[in-house]
Amino acid sequence: MSLKKASAIVLAGLMTVSALPVYAEGSDVTLSVSIWDSYQEPGIKEILSDFTAKTGIKTELSVVKWDEYWTMLEAGAQGGSLPDVFWMHSNESERYMSNDMLLDLTDKISESEAIDPANYPEDIWGLYTYDGKYYAVPKDVDTIALWYNKAMFDEAGLEYPTADWTWEDVGEAAKKLTKEDGSQYGLAVRNDNNQAGYYNMVYDNGGYIISEDKKQSGWDDAKTIEAMQVLEGWIKDGVMPSLETMSENGEDVLFQSGKVAMVLQGSWMLAAYKGNEYTSANCDIVELPKNSQTGRRTSVYNGLGWAAAASGEHTEEAWQLVEYLGSKEAQEKQAQLGVTMSAYTGTSDAWSQSADFNLQAYLNMMEDMEIRPYSKSTVTWENENSEILKGVYTGDISMEEACKQMAEQMNEKLAEE
Amino acid sequence: MANTKSKAKTGRQRSEFLWGWLFILPTTIGLVVLNIIPIFQTIYQSFFKTGDFGKGNIFVGLSNYEKVFGDKEVWQALINTLKYAIVEVPFSIAIALVLAVLLNRKMKGRSVYRTIIFLPMVAAPAAVAMVWRWLFNSDFGLINNVFKVHVNWVSSPQIAVFSVAVIGVWSIIGYNMVLFLSGLQEIPRDYYEAAEIDGATGVNAFFHITIPLLSPTLFFVLVTRVIGALQVFDLIYMVIDKSNPALSKTQSLVYLFYKYSFVNKNMGYGSTIVVLLLAITMIITVFQMIGQKKWVFYN
Repeated sequence: MSLKKASAIVLAGLMTVSALPVYAEGSDVTLSVSIWDSYQEPGIKEILSDFTAKTGIKTELSVVKWDEYWTMLEAGAQGGSLPDVFWMHSNESERYMSNDMLLDLTDKISESEAIDPANYPEDIWGLYTYDGKYYAVPKDVDTIALWYNKAMFDEAGLEYPTADWTWEDVGEAAKKLTKEDGSQYGLAVRNDNNQAGYYNMVYDNGGYIISEDKKQSGWDDAKTIEAMQVLEGWIKDGVMPSLETMSENGEDVLFQSGKVAMVLQGSWMLAAYKGNEYTSANCDIVELPKNSQTGRRTSVYNGLGWAAAASGEHTEEAWQLVEYLGSKEAQEKQAQLGVTMSAYTGTSDAWSQSADFNLQAYLNMMEDMEIRPYSKSTVTWENENSEILKGVYTGDISMEEACKQMAEQMNEKLAEE
Repeated sequence: MANTKSKAKTGRQRSEFLWGWLFILPTTIGLVVLNIIPIFQTIYQSFFKTGDFGKGNIFVGLSNYEKVFGDKEVWQALINTLKYAIVEVPFSIAIALVLAVLLNRKMKGRSVYRTIIFLPMVAAPAAVAMVWRWLFNSDFGLINNVFKVHVNWVSSPQIAVFSVAVIGVWSIIGYNMVLFLSGLQEIPRDYYEAAEIDGATGVNAFFHITIPLLSPTLFFVLVTRVIGALQVFDLIYMVIDKSNPALSKTQSLVYLFYKYSFVNKNMGYGSTIVVLLLAITMIITVFQMIGQKKWVFYN
């Protein structure tokens, strides 16, 4: 037999063996877990391995980028092959809950010793409740704060931002921090930075995005338009990079590479900034500015939920995992590891010690919060709004005109829900 | 005796017939399951207002089509797609043809060149797009920094679609070249020798011998490339971010289909867009089939 033939046979043999399923561990269950944030992956992995050590149930974590995550989940839901346990977001939760895609956790929660709804913010439960039933356990809460580059403030001879700042102060400082040659800008708020960006300005000005009954857009409200005109002012003053630049690089990248002095970012970005040498050395955090007229300082907030698939094969084990992830122990660990703030009341203090930034600012933002506006078709109207806002950045339409267009298209979509 | 012979012949014919079908069966099944059935399902779906997760579809007749024909975004996407095709198809064919002719002779390092030119074809489109995205980056990109210019290659509404087409050309050249090379090798050397005696060399021989004799391959590449270019999606999806001001002037029909079907979860409208693309592709292909009689020579 020639060497070629012999190796071919060996290879073929190997392939057959490796194609056979391996039952070495008996009937052990492995739960598939899906998330979208790669920055949180290491921390989540650690928590999952604690769970495996405790219960013997194995987990397999996969991270899929935000955009593809929802495509994957949609296909999985339709084809009956959702991951066993996964993150849910307020943008999409209602569609999944109203179509019975998520495991009903109501009875399990009422019997559980680890999960007591009173220990988590009520609004977050609200995102994952449908017809009085619970479909996910709160994973985290997030608030917004202002990040600034100390080195740039020093260079411009400016005082660092404080908790007493107003949005006007931000605009003034941004002007002084912007260099004429385009090598440095004062501020970056992209057209699609709603939750961490302009939503906060709208709410602290007394405006709103969506009515309580989710039937009416608040974009044409006079207070909303007034708040958005502050953003228009920044665009016109040229204190922000062009939309082209912000779109090609992203606010976070521009901030991390020392191109902009201030950005508005959610607490979930900590993991990204903590890992960056430049931001660790030069940057810090302060509470969001106040509205000079109302005196209000508001953070739009949101929280993810851990959900399980209704169609899963191992729903019992999946519930065990969700229960563990929502338990005080896992929530505390999540905060300690600096993954995100945790939903469980009182566990987030550990998070503020997880990095050398003034993370207390994010916790202080919890004093006045508004839940991130949502309805059944959030994604559709939100994307369309960002598309319309582009026109303001490129100077084609005024902010007032854009707000009216946004209200119109949003009302149309809300009527169809 | 004669009787048995003819019997044997039919037996063999039958077995050939059976084996023939058996051999194409896997492809046929694949085609039917993965292509043909979905085509009809898509057409069917385009008459519905689809519910969440494929449940609760409501029949709406032609209303999706009425909406498509009145939708400026769709027509802009069609223009974008055609712009892309108009750059990608001719350039990828012309450059690949020249390269194929140059590499179709005995020369040092021929297979090295062929491999290098074919390599982009092997790379994953997503990876290709990411690399080009950085090359084209207006602030930190290599192109702008080397040439000391500031052009918004992929974020200016006027030029972004052409920049994407450049990436398309770059990634498809190798594949076209290989097809042309195989076509060139089928042209007998005698023609060139005869032409040389008559005094036709170089460029003359290229236009009067190579092109006509290569025309079946050229035609094949043209038809498949036009269809491929009309279906462009991955490059645009990877290069043009959602917040990019050039998006509305670059998104193709398939991109819109993706947006409606998988982001906005409006499968019915997404299907309608893709049916429109199917119709346009078929019309263009029919015209090409008619046109080929004028310029394609089959020996």
